Amino acid sequence: MEIIEEKRDGIHVFKLNGRLDSNTSQGFETAIFQAIADGSKKIVIDFKDLDYISSAGLRVILKATKAVNREEGKIMLCAMQDYVKEVFEIAGFDSFLPIVTTMDEALKEL
Amino acid sequence: MKKKEYSFELKNRLSELDTLCRNLEKYGRQIGLSSKMIFELNLALDELFTNIISYGFKDGEEHRVRVTLTPEKGVICLCIEDDGIAFDPTAFDHPDVSCSVAQCKIGGLGIHIIKKLMDDICYERCGNKNVLRLKKKFGKSAS
Repeated sequence: MEIIEEKRDGIHVFKLNGRLDSNTSQGFETAIFQAIADGSKKIVIDFKDLDYISSAGLRVILKATKAVNREEGKIMLCAMQDYVKEVFEIAGFDSFLPIVTTMDEALKEL
Repeated sequence: MKKKEYSFELKNRLSELDTLCRNLEKYGRQIGLSSKMIFELNLALDELFTNIISYGFKDGEEHRVRVTLTPEKGVICLCIEDDGIAFDPTAFDHPDVSCSVAQCKIGGLGIHIIKKLMDDICYERCGNKNVLRLKKKFGKSAS
């Protein structure tokens, strides 16, 4: 999986490309927790090019969301493909994680 | 649909998830499965395989996990066999998934996903092997 990081007006954007599973989730966990440790409080995760997610990926998203909430920051998730969104729904994570359709909406919320 | 079995082995390392994905894509296309069906079979097998290799082997040796897929009338049958420590995933309760960020516990999430995706799950300990058989109906959607 490829992780592209960008800064946009003080917002830290992660673009995920490929498959977020138990083999790749560790790399993403390291990257996002590094950003949180460096003081990023507004984070967008762009799922547009993410083809697959398993519970290992969901765990990292949940853990990062909890960590950012503790710092009184916010994470937005955007542009999920249908099958990926379905995994969030099966897990029940769509009921409490902020998922929006487009990057613009995500940036506006922060 | 002609009954035809498709079987392959994975070594007990996480990088084999890519092999799992490649094999499912190849076989799925051969027998005309939808991309949604391939995604859901991949997810269920990923969760099981990850569980097995994370908790099943304590000896540091190389092990093989065998995956077998058999299309039957209206159903895809999956079988996963490993020689790890005895573990029955069907004995786990559903976690509470209707909760807030702060309360949400993540244990058992993989097994919850498998139960949601599959129509039937059956565990058996055969000698030194865990044998898990799963069935998924064509057209069943998890959501």
